[in-house]
Amino acid sequence: MKRTFDHSAPEQTNTDGALTGPRYWRSLDELAETPGFQEQMAREFPEGADNLNGVDRRRFFKLMAASFALGGAGLASGCRRPEEHILAFGRSVEHSIPGLPLYYASAFPLRRNAVPILAETHQGRPTKIEGNPSFAPYGGATNALVQASVLDLYDPDRATTHTIRGTAANAARIQDLLAEIGTQARADGGNGLVFLAESSGSPTRERLVARLRREFPQALWAEYDAVRDEPPAAAARAAFGRDVKPVYRFAKAKRVVALDADFFGAESGSIGYIRDFAKARRAHTVDAEINRLYSVESTFTLTGSMADHRLRLASSHLLAFAAALFGAVTGSADYAALSTGLQFKDQEKWLAECAKDLLAHRGQALVVAGSHLPAEVHAIVYALNAALDAIGNTVDFVAAPAPAEAGIAEVVARLNAGNVRTLVILGGNPVYNAPADLQFAAALRRAQQVVRLGYYVDETSAAFPAGAHVAAAHYLESWGDARTTDGTIVAIQPMILPLFGGISEIELLARILGEGKPDGYSLVFQTITGLNALGGTEGEKGFRQFLHDGFVAGSAYQVVNPAINAGGLRELLAAARPPVPVTREALEVRFTLDAKMDDGRFANNGWLQECPDPMTKIAWDNAILVSPALGRELGIEPGGSAIQVARKNSAHFVRGMDRAFVGELTVNGRVLRGPLHIQPGLANYTVAVALGYGRGVTGRVGTGVGFDAYQVRLSDNLGYATGATLTLVPGSFHLLANTQQHWSMEGRDIVREANVDEFRQNPGFVAGMGMEAHSPAIFGDFTPEEFAKLPREERARITSERAQFTPRGGSLKETPDFSGPNAFLDGVHQWAMSIDLNTCIGCNACVIACQAENNIPIVGKDQVLRGREMHWIRLDRYYSDGKIEGGAFGGPGNSIIPEDPQVSLQPMTCQHCELAPCETVCPVNATVHDQEGLNTMAYNRCIGTRYCANNCPYKVRRFNFFDYNQRQLDKLYLGPLAPKGMPELVKMVKNPDVTVRMRGVMEKCTYCVQRIQAAKIAQKVKAGPSPDVVVPDGAFTVACAQACPAEAIVFGNIKDPTTRVSRLKALEQDYAVLGYLNIRPRTTYLGKLRNPNPEMPDYASLPLSRQEYLKKAYPAEMKGHHGQASPTHTGPGPRQGTTEDKAPNPAHRPQTSLGKFLFGGNR
Amino acid sequence: MSNLFPKSVNKLPLQILIFIGITTGVVLAGITYYATPKYTRVGYAPIQPVPFSHALHSGQLGIDCRYCHSNVDKSAHSNIPTAQTCMNCHSPGLIKGDSPLLAPVRASFESGNPVPWVNIHVVPDYAYFNHAVHVARGVSCVECHGRINEMEVVHHAKPLSMAWCLDCHRAPEKVLRDPALVTNLDWQHPGGPAAQIEQGRKFVHDWNIQPPQSCSGCHR
Repeated sequence: MKRTFDHSAPEQTNTDGALTGPRYWRSLDELAETPGFQEQMAREFPEGADNLNGVDRRRFFKLMAASFALGGAGLASGCRRPEEHILAFGRSVEHSIPGLPLYYASAFPLRRNAVPILAETHQGRPTKIEGNPSFAPYGGATNALVQASVLDLYDPDRATTHTIRGTAANAARIQDLLAEIGTQARADGGNGLVFLAESSGSPTRERLVARLRREFPQALWAEYDAVRDEPPAAAARAAFGRDVKPVYRFAKAKRVVALDADFFGAESGSIGYIRDFAKARRAHTVDAEINRLYSVESTFTLTGSMADHRLRLASSHLLAFAAALFGAVTGSADYAALSTGLQFKDQEKWLAECAKDLLAHRGQALVVAGSHLPAEVHAIVYALNAALDAIGNTVDFVAAPAPAEAGIAEVVARLNAGNVRTLVILGGNPVYNAPADLQFAAALRRAQQVVRLGYYVDETSAAFPAGAHVAAAHYLESWGDARTTDGTIVAIQPMILPLFGGISEIELLARILGEGKPDGYSLVFQTITGLNALGGTEGEKGFRQFLHDGFVAGSAYQVVNPAINAGGLRELLAAARPPVPVTREALEVRFTLDAKMDDGRFANNGWLQECPDPMTKIAWDNAILVSPALGRELGIEPGGSAIQVARKNSAHFVRGMDRAFVGELTVNGRVLRGPLHIQPGLANYTVAVALGYGRGVTGRVGTGVGFDAYQVRLSDNLGYATGATLTLVPGSFHLLANTQQHWSMEGRDIVREANVDEFRQNPGFVAGMGMEAHSPAIFGDFTPEEFAKLPREERARITSERAQFTPRGGSLKETPDFSGPNAFLDGVHQWAMSIDLNTCIGCNACVIACQAENNIPIVGKDQVLRGREMHWIRLDRYYSDGKIEGGAFGGPGNSIIPEDPQVSLQPMTCQHCELAPCETVCPVNATVHDQEGLNTMAYNRCIGTRYCANNCPYKVRRFNFFDYNQRQLDKLYLGPLAPKGMPELVKMVKNPDVTVRMRGVMEKCTYCVQRIQAAKIAQKVKAGPSPDVVVPDGAFTVACAQACPAEAIVFGNIKDPTTRVSRLKALEQDYAVLGYLNIRPRTTYLGKLRNPNPEMPDYASLPLSRQEYLKKAYPAEMKGHHGQASPTHTGPGPRQGTTEDKAPNPAHRPQTSLGKFLFGGNR
Repeated sequence: MSNLFPKSVNKLPLQILIFIGITTGVVLAGITYYATPKYTRVGYAPIQPVPFSHALHSGQLGIDCRYCHSNVDKSAHSNIPTAQTCMNCHSPGLIKGDSPLLAPVRASFESGNPVPWVNIHVVPDYAYFNHAVHVARGVSCVECHGRINEMEVVHHAKPLSMAWCLDCHRAPEKVLRDPALVTNLDWQHPGGPAAQIEQGRKFVHDWNIQPPQSCSGCHR
């Protein structure tokens, strides 16, 4: 007789029939619990991910039969191995050892913000960029842009020839042209000669420009950056009376206020800032003092996502806010007039308590304003920092030279006056990104001659077809120098000769100036050896040291920390006006610096295009981001469905694709059309548009991706504009490749969070969460809570033993017997990873680093729409608002789109489970365990059943649906006879130590097995005939950990309980995601901490995600906390901004299981 | 009508089965023997652009392998010498400085264009063999390449198949020797195979030899 089990229905928790619902949500749609979403979550891949494009099964087999018949014809000729040759050099090459990489110190230049790097080269071709660990402020960290820059070198679409009037010109003709310009300028003092360049810290360029000004006094040298990542010079001139710029010292700052400042991404020097911030945030001891971040911003930035208190405020109101905060801190009424009209919830209390907290940490507090904000805001912030004794402590002002006097407006003025004979445009792309009101393209046509140095043939090159386009060299193929944001002089060395004969900016200038030796090496040599900084080791030796180290130690700008000049400040602020209200009819538009495209220069970089935006998770597009409130007013809020009453979609999801409404944004009298995307956390009437998309003329990857927001940006305020209107375009939709819809984990205790006060009382708070907290011990003798109470050394020892002596695998392959004569089978190392969620800021550096290291292909927008992105590591971004009901249906908390969510970020990659579910289902043993705890993939065995991906609880396996490495992205669907093969240029970027996977093969994170093996082999070679084969801790690390600026990822050997990773895993806040499955992941996470101020009006006594967790896990205890607090339960409630949200009174602690683990079971 | 088929037809199914069985067996046996590297690779001795004799240089003259293959103990790849290495001895005026057989080497040294040596020992691209670690830990060249010092023309001596690799990785004691002796291709343990195994076991223990047997050892 068939037995049936009666699963009891979920407990009814309130009268309107609410059921227990999910707690985390990654999209509004997920929160909405729409039937379509439910169906999608039940699937491994979104619908359509495994279907051919419009081809049904029957038709597919017809086609396949035909192609097999054709394929058979070709077999006969190709069955013998082709004869291969070994081509050794004719003459031996210094340092070259075939098979071993060589590293050179160099630097990635970007505006005045170079990043010191080490470039890895294989037989003379650079393949991977790492940070230069000798440069202390960055400690070897990089960001996504630096990591991706190597791909640009091998871009088949880059300018491959010099051209004059559209026809190819050889190097000699270009040199003649440049020499001619120089001769002419020498004759008439440079009359009619105009240079337009981007800002740069290069000392060599500075030297050449100085000479240019001297010798061609009539010539104009102008600089223009489309985006600003340093505060405006006018602010420093007003506040200090001299040219200085701030360098923040976040490591010393205990209290930070960020005013629209995304110092994790958009500010110059962000890599160092992330690193320093993480230092002050890390909690590896119970009594660690953790910094507190207040963020006031209009858009939702990564910095805002880390904030302990976040206030949504329009950018145009930040001057008022800064003035009000200045008043609250200093008690002076000097700028009170500026803050009239400022209005937000609990304004007085917010400002007063924030100011109180800052004043309590005088000398350890810091206020940072975003670079895009006007000089007035910065000036007040400087004064505020001075009042908080921050200057000299948490911020240093360094004597940086001012940017060039002349900007693009002067160039346009000269052009329009018709007296420009020769315009030399060095880099940049002003036709695309100049302020729209300047009408640069029209002005450009008035020049008699234009010489353009450009890496791509782009909008600017195309706008003056009669000019000369000089192909620029990539920074990896040219000599140069640069300065980091703190002024340290760094070297730029070529790794490879220019692939297409490009020349660099300094070489071009030197040719015009008629320098004796106009080659890059001589120019840089002359500059560097002429510096006093090199001290006693001048000349050749000093220069070699410079190239070896990659930078000149001690060459940073001098710290001056001048006193505030009150008079100048008053003068600047006298003209400032209080803000005008931002409303539905007069919206504010914020032009944001994109995390991937920068100002648009990386538009043709496939790695960056495919990388999802850190917050919206949209790849291959930008969108007009609107707040939930504005979305409601526009009527683009979710449609909902008949059977659910929960939240509505922000867009229609059709076959898993985000079908976005299209809107028209009218700003400054110009119209911009783009897809609308609801982004929680935006100021209500601020819409955000990312710059850098919508390129008209660039390579195949970037052309036509997204929309161009520069078209509506005017020169009077480049950061934001006001008075805009937004209307819907009826019946028009746009598909957004939104990766946040995929790979859902159905919100459980995935990211475990606590406030600092709870962590101090109960550092093992993570052990009280999740299903494993309530079950008997799953693994070994200890429940998680018991385990968390052991001393740390004991935990590290037990972890090491478990890793060594418990059977692993679970594949069809026999599990080795680790005892007796087979004891040697147990690996020399046991590899594992620890990820600190408390310091991870979600910047995507790891994603691109992994892509570069592991030859991960890009798949294109169409494939991302189908959920086929290939990234081995992704960043899951969860929103939580604490208002979710115990049940999924019906409660008021579920029926609105949250406006003030907290964000929890989590890097997710293969967890290398010791009992891996993927291994048990592989029919061909393609994924098995090795002795050192790696869950390996043998690509050659894989037959592509995808059972493993179906059985992976973390959704981290990726399948090659097409031959992404062999086919161009627009030819994926063509038949077997269609053109195949990778261009030679693209082959050159591949890491030779990693297999390039083919179609039909599953792949996933390997813990960078090639690096592990290289380190083991190096150690064994060193050991020779001795037993010393254990790789020392820290001898190598994996690509993601190496790139991480927050040092959140640590990799190593847990067999040795004293290694860094072992010590991290022994921390009380260490937990395994989905630990209750007993699959024993080798990657574990450290819980996230928040540090809110109990006096603040928006204080939440528990992180919002935790409140949602409790509401689901303990509906009975949490009942009564949605509205009025019941007298017996003063437990945590939702964030309502009312007094009931204060920390629970210790006297009223509930004696329930909830109270027990909230406040520690031993109390 | 009843005698349409003769009686012998009754045996036909059995005969067909036996025929199929034998045919399949022969084909399988053929594939097993002939379609493996042991047969397809071993003995491969292509004609090289320069008739370099290992028997002369290594065997008779006793030049150490590492004089030419200088990176074998540093890198995964054991390098073929550059023309410059050859010219150390064969420059004009030195040994056979004007031999027409060495013309390609001299041309390569002059022009920088490589001599197109034909690759003999090839492992597939997905197998990441590393020379340095084998040489450093006491696995002699001879174990994979055979008696190169006796070859006039180098030929493929061992199968280099995965099963063949694993034979050694499962029983390293059979081949381990003092790393100082790895380039001495004539050396065999003076005590014979039994003594070799005994000494090999000692090395396995003393040097902590754990040859990888998992996929990740060679496939990345």
